[in-house]
Amino acid sequence: MGSPVRNKNNGAFTIKCGLTNSGDSSSPRLVTNAVVRSKGDKATYIGHEFDRCRDFSSLHYRLPFEKGYLVDWDAQKAVWDGIFSEEVLRVNTTESSLLITEPYFNLPNLQEVYDQFVFEEYEFASYHRCSPAALIPYGNLYGSSSSAPPECMLVVDSGFSFTHVVPIMGSSIVWSAVKRLDIGGKLLTNQLKELVSFRQWNMMDETYIMSHVKETCCYVSTSYRRDMEICRENPRKNDIVQEYILPDFSANRQGHIRKAEDVGETDQILYMNNERFSVPETMFYPSDIGLQQLGLPGAIAYSISLLPNDVQGMFWANIGLIGGTTKIPGFRDRLLHELRSLAPIDVEVIIHTAADAMTEAYKSALAFARSGDFSSYVVTRAEYQESGSNASRRRFKDWKSTDNEKCPDPYPRKGKAPMQESDDERISIPTRGGRARNRTGPSGQRRR
Amino acid sequence: MPPKRGRPRRQVQVEAAAARAHIDPELIAKRTKRHLDELERSNYTESSTLFASADDEDQDRGPAARGRARQTISDKREHGRKKKSTMNIRTAVLYRKNLATLIDESGIAALPGPTYLTAAVPPPNEPPRLICSVCGYWGKYKCKKCAMPYCDLNCEAVHDETRCERRVL
Ligand SMILES: [Zn+2]
Ligand SMILES: [Zn+2]
Repeated sequence: MGSPVRNKNNGAFTIKCGLTNSGDSSSPRLVTNAVVRSKGDKATYIGHEFDRCRDFSSLHYRLPFEKGYLVDWDAQKAVWDGIFSEEVLRVNTTESSLLITEPYFNLPNLQEVYDQFVFEEYEFASYHRCSPAALIPYGNLYGSSSSAPPECMLVVDSGFSFTHVVPIMGSSIVWSAVKRLDIGGKLLTNQLKELVSFRQWNMMDETYIMSHVKETCCYVSTSYRRDMEICRENPRKNDIVQEYILPDFSANRQGHIRKAEDVGETDQILYMNNERFSVPETMFYPSDIGLQQLGLPGAIAYSISLLPNDVQGMFWANIGLIGGTTKIPGFRDRLLHELRSLAPIDVEVIIHTAADAMTEAYKSALAFARSGDFSSYVVTRAEYQESGSNASRRRFKDWKSTDNEKCPDPYPRKGKAPMQESDDERISIPTRGGRARNRTGPSGQRRR
Repeated sequence: MPPKRGRPRRQVQVEAAAARAHIDPELIAKRTKRHLDELERSNYTESSTLFASADDEDQDRGPAARGRARQTISDKREHGRKKKSTMNIRTAVLYRKNLATLIDESGIAALPGPTYLTAAVPPPNEPPRLICSVCGYWGKYKCKKCAMPYCDLNCEAVHDETRCERRVL
């Protein structure tokens, strides 16, 4: 396919990026999406430069994203400039095509700024922008690449800023049933910081360290009451408590869980007792911290209840997990257990997981970008120069403000299927050839 | 199950408890909201509810907090390309807006269909579990002064000494 395609899964905290023509490698380069100041190193790191950081104490983060949306374009440009440069991807953007993700329900005014950066600043030859879940039908989350993805799937995307439940029908997102839970990895890390700072060491300044503690020690309990009793009995010695030895950056030693052979008496130990499971528990009981939202199982059941009756069973049987926060041990088991009790008795509940939930959307993006009909989904620089952001509003099929208008598409394309009205919910039917492997999809026509 | 209209049961319960303790439920709701905002910060270093310290507003904003940024970070590295950015790009880089402003300006509030503003998960039907604010175990009791739950005499003592706000705001 001639020109290389750059894939960028532009997460609020971690960017997963790579090139389609980089051989068979499907592992993205991970770049911290932040400008980070390290007091110990007396240095400021922009994006990929953070790999050079040695002293992770008291880091100050400047994140381009606020609550999941891109608001600090100065910081974002600094990080992107680095990624496109010789130091990371070494691409000539003017000859490349870009596939970039955006948050669910991205604001229309922000979508225009995405367009401006892609074409005015980096001058890409063409690009496609969509949400991470929209890429999942192209990947292998629901089975091998030889079989067509299921007609109905429910993607749970839990990342840094928030968690979304995203139903997809015939490869199109059903936006009226997409639901957001305002809990992600960032909130959980902050909650953990708060708990241990009150109970043991003041770690309020140590986001990086506490994020590592969270990743190392936390799990989702399958029996919250039982685990709570175990931890109450003897808080320093029980089957759950772990001793996390805090890092010593001056001695170049990372934090880790104490093993029997570790004896260092000067070590600073953080006891991780009920903190191990009470923090991820917030995903299941947001009201534990006063957040007035259903937990994730309830959110999934609610989303499915908004879908057409006759296909609800298919959604229950095709739940897929993506995003770093779903990687917490026990997450799937607990979710399955609770969904089982919420689902109608006669439906099957199946949860699909990826080898690495954090990079699954990236891998799906790679498959999409490599597929034959990717080129029919892009907006070209010439089209942007001619009609500005209207070009992407016309072409991209993900959420856009015009989807809300009850009047027909002001720019009807040839072959566009009519909107369907059902129970007052609008479901858009795929308008084009769609997926490379979609042989059973409702839209018979294929481009090529 | 459609989203519940009106006050969720939790709210009613908290209000009842607050009424017993003569605490304005609105103040409790405000405290909860402030705490949730803190948990969203990029550099959450000072907790107003935990250490009753003064609330310094988010320092994440950097120099671009209000109006035009005095200096930008994106021109700190050259990366070998010298290019004059368009007006659109310079505006985006120089004038930072927070999410609330961007939402206002986006016009999504006037859209009839689903948007960011309508997508939040609805509140739960069942009342919240009460968790001891000191140790994390079940919190059977509530502080008479500030309505925070605690589990036993030990935790009550710790709460009184270090954490009780004595007043809600
Ligand atoms: Zn207690
Ligand atoms: Zn109190």
